[in-house]
Amino acid sequence: MNALIEQFVQVLAAGLTAGAIYGLTCVGLALIFGIMRVINFAQGDFIMVGMYLTVWIASRLGIFGDVAPFISALLVAPLMFTAGAALHRFLISRTTGLRAVGLSGDGHQAQLILTLGVALILQNGALIVMGSSPVSIVSHLSSSAWEIPLLIDEDSTLFLNQARTLAALVSVVVAMGLFRLIRSTELGKSLRAAADNPEAATYVGIDVSRAHRIAFGLGAAIAGVAGGLLVLTTPAQPFVGTDYIIIMYAGVVLGGIGSITGAFWGGMVIGLVQQISTLVLPLQLQNATVFLVFVLILLLRPQGLFGRSAERA
Amino acid sequence: MQNRPLTPTLVLLAALALGWIALSYCTASPYYILLLTLVPIWALLGVSWNLFSGYSGLISFGHGAFFGLGAYAVMIGLTRFNLSPWFGLPLAGVLGALAGAAIGWPTFRLRGNYFALAMLAYPLMMAYFTGWAGYQELSVPLHREAPVWFMQFTDTHAYVLIAVVLLLSGVLISLAVERSRFGMSLMAMKQNELAAEAAGIDTRLWKLRAMMISGAIAAIAGGLYAVVVLVVTPSSVFGLVVSAQAMILVMFGGAGTIWGPLIGAAVLVPLGETLQANLGAILPGIQGVLYGVAVIAVVLIAPEGIYWKLRDQRRTAHIERPAPPPPAAVETIAATAQGEMLLEIDGLGKFFGGVAAVQGLTFSVREHEVLGIIGPNGAGKTTLFNLLCGVVTPSTGSIRYAGQSIGGLAPNRIARLRIGRTFQVVRAFPRMSVLENVVVGAYAHHATDADAWNAAARAVEQVGLTPYASAAAGSLTNRELRLMELARALAGNPRLLLLDEPLAGLSASDTDELIAVVRRLPSQGITVAIIEHTMQAMVGLVDRFVVLDQGQLLADGLPADVMRQRAVIEAYLGRNWEAKDAAA
Amino acid sequence: MLRLDQVSVSYGGLRALREVSLHVAPGALTAVVGPNGAGKSTLFKAISGTVPISTGSIRFDGDDLLAHPAHRRAHLGIAHVPEGRRVFASLSVLENLEMGSATEVGRVNRSRSFQRIYTLFPILAQRRGQLAGTLSGGQQQMLAIGRALASCPRLLMLDEPSMGLSPTMADTIFDAIHTLRQEGEITILLVEQRVTDALAQCDRATVLESGRVVLEGLAADLSADRLRQAYLGV
Repeated sequence: MNALIEQFVQVLAAGLTAGAIYGLTCVGLALIFGIMRVINFAQGDFIMVGMYLTVWIASRLGIFGDVAPFISALLVAPLMFTAGAALHRFLISRTTGLRAVGLSGDGHQAQLILTLGVALILQNGALIVMGSSPVSIVSHLSSSAWEIPLLIDEDSTLFLNQARTLAALVSVVVAMGLFRLIRSTELGKSLRAAADNPEAATYVGIDVSRAHRIAFGLGAAIAGVAGGLLVLTTPAQPFVGTDYIIIMYAGVVLGGIGSITGAFWGGMVIGLVQQISTLVLPLQLQNATVFLVFVLILLLRPQGLFGRSAERA
Repeated sequence: MQNRPLTPTLVLLAALALGWIALSYCTASPYYILLLTLVPIWALLGVSWNLFSGYSGLISFGHGAFFGLGAYAVMIGLTRFNLSPWFGLPLAGVLGALAGAAIGWPTFRLRGNYFALAMLAYPLMMAYFTGWAGYQELSVPLHREAPVWFMQFTDTHAYVLIAVVLLLSGVLISLAVERSRFGMSLMAMKQNELAAEAAGIDTRLWKLRAMMISGAIAAIAGGLYAVVVLVVTPSSVFGLVVSAQAMILVMFGGAGTIWGPLIGAAVLVPLGETLQANLGAILPGIQGVLYGVAVIAVVLIAPEGIYWKLRDQRRTAHIERPAPPPPAAVETIAATAQGEMLLEIDGLGKFFGGVAAVQGLTFSVREHEVLGIIGPNGAGKTTLFNLLCGVVTPSTGSIRYAGQSIGGLAPNRIARLRIGRTFQVVRAFPRMSVLENVVVGAYAHHATDADAWNAAARAVEQVGLTPYASAAAGSLTNRELRLMELARALAGNPRLLLLDEPLAGLSASDTDELIAVVRRLPSQGITVAIIEHTMQAMVGLVDRFVVLDQGQLLADGLPADVMRQRAVIEAYLGRNWEAKDAAA
Repeated sequence: MLRLDQVSVSYGGLRALREVSLHVAPGALTAVVGPNGAGKSTLFKAISGTVPISTGSIRFDGDDLLAHPAHRRAHLGIAHVPEGRRVFASLSVLENLEMGSATEVGRVNRSRSFQRIYTLFPILAQRRGQLAGTLSGGQQQMLAIGRALASCPRLLMLDEPSMGLSPTMADTIFDAIHTLRQEGEITILLVEQRVTDALAQCDRATVLESGRVVLEGLAADLSADRLRQAYLGV
């Protein structure tokens, strides 16, 4: 009995730590989708790029020792922001906003397919440049764990992998920083205003296409940081992004389209579901469970837990 | 599509098929023969994608689900049941159709982006399940004792032959669908799903049928793929690349035409494979990069694909527009005797979250009457209209049509009761003829295609557009488009016709022409209700006015009476009008 | 202050505005009236730049407006309260006003202009922290006007401020407009479907019909018959 409790607590901890990082990835996606109504297929690949960038930067920051991976992950942010904003300006913006008026479906299909093209180029480009062998950060944090005694009996302990736990904490801090940005700063409010009503936003002097560009850049930056935090425990390889696409979308939809804080909780729930499912299902099926949950949410409650509008096309 | 000759297309297809097979005999290199086999297989997958997404406009990112299902069905048949692919392929088709139904039924409830996301999930889910079930990698077992029975030919040209035959079958099925009401209904849904529903088309049913056929064809393509490449893994047949490839080939070549998948496959597959073969060692992902670049280029430069871009460029050179007919002599039309109550509305109300859009509406429409429903902006006319057409359900009150309660019925059911409607924004098929645009409105009411075309021709004549029947809708003026929209509604042989702001934005002379057409309708047995803002043009047209303001009925009576009523004048011009008027 | 010269706008084949010329004097309240579909909202959108102009010119204080993209025009001193209010639903009342005052001029004078807005519409002060999406129609209209005033504009454009409001609410709004007009600091351009209300407020009026200017002049001079004909056809 005690063993079961210990196992459950262990899985719960795993779910929370995984969930925190997933939550961060969902926040990045929610930002882009919430503000621009753009479904970004390449979001998973932004994570992948973040992973590789972090490994590269960390290898040059050897002096910082164990903290290096975390610093690198954060340094990835401005790089990814610039790249994302550029991508928006030169490519994505051609299918959104006023320029999209002539396209069918107001450009929604076009941007969906455009981001798919970007995803393919990023994935296969990474394959060309980096090769297919997985790349990871060597850090003894990944193989050390804190041991927390559970009070059930003398032997039960909770093992918290240090790298994973620290990554989860950093995720929470970054997510909270983003919430603060969106809620309280003038920039954040102008982004929300542009999302609420682009026409009225223009009338009060907000440059809506610049707002979109910033949102896209921020979304890319968040994905990059999340990738950097993930690479401590998951090796980087060119197609790793596809694993996270469904997780992110499941989390965002669960949390409710239009709610950035909801997206974080959605990601948390997905992480918990994924880890807890290992108690009853074989390991290989844990992702399948996520997909199943995703499809069920879409069918049963598309507006999610905190969402504003259902069935938005 | 009916008027386009079929024979040249068939001849061209036969020629291409024979040419391809002949090409394969020009080489003995296994590599090139494999390439010549893969192109038609991927083209077949493209055909299946086009059949569903190309015509209906619902983008499926999950056709890999069907492809993979077919591949694994044939593989498992071979490895575990010793089932010959000659039986395995048809079985794959059946499974694909069933999967299409199983996936389509729940997923069609979702719109646009949600639909695309859900479709994305299915093949990935299936990949995980297959992996877990232990079918990581499957290879075709060799059967030297009965090679032909197991579709294992020493002369690999045979595979080219089989692939081409299957592709040809798929294309012919596409062609049949495209030219039938099936294809027209799908395309109407793509243009404007609500309008299609209003024309009586059961959109859910057609989507399901399209998905089933599409799934069957994709599965067969997958099955043949397995036979030809000899090894399958979950990622090679269920992976995102497969679904993406289905989509990219068709979007590149042109969606919504049988030539699209053929062009796309013929250009991109050899290009990709060649790049992969030559540069694959140093640039291992080059094929993916190619596809990515191709799809971005297509979206930005030629969003509808190469076929349409080329065709439009050729066509603009000579767009034939028939000379406009001489203006008809003004005819006086005797007033039609008005009959029984056709539409009775009692206490009708609709609340949106506590706010009453309309409430307490009570009025009726007699048979063969022309009723004008007017009122200032925000008066609730659109809500009333949507209630009559089934777009929204009443919160209170009732709507009775020919004695039957219709409040809350779905739009396509209301359409089948011979209530027709027009849309303010006309979304026509620009490349199709006026007649082809109009026939969509006739399908729900005519069992055979021949009857439908006849009804369409009659409707076109009713509105006076016969000289333009074969002209492309993209070349019409606003007035003509409005008339065509009216013809589409008339093709359904309506008893009650609801017109949604038919005069909006038209010039004075255009308005007169449209009014003349509408004025004739009661004598042809049709009752008309028109929603409009302004009264001027309507005064000579309607028998009666019903005036709405702030969601309530303000007046109901003859035009001359209604427009002198103070409440009506004030609704438009503001309170204290009489005082100002008197003072002036 | 504002001069439109032979401005035409087309929406995919439909001519929404045909060679419209309009002159708005500084400090005055000019009304643009006309039946539905006459092109009144299109006129405002053309001035704000959210709809492209096919011919003609627009000059604001001598400055060619077409040289400025739509989102810059607020910074030049043009405030547009769109039809249907369009408040930022997920932002609070105060945040909406903050967004309105995010121009250079607006920022500098923020505290003074907010005071003025709260005096004009006390309820906005009371509900500062409330989410704009949960306000009633009338309150949202007040917020939309307040948001426009927050930028300290020189030209205020109001598109059908009374639409969808109860008569009492509409009165409140018109009272506020009247106060603004009395203060004389802002030039006001008002679109209204309800002619009497508009004429009671304005100095001059322009009547649009099917995208064309059919009548123009001092409010008192506009003939009742001609107006009624434009709206009702009698």
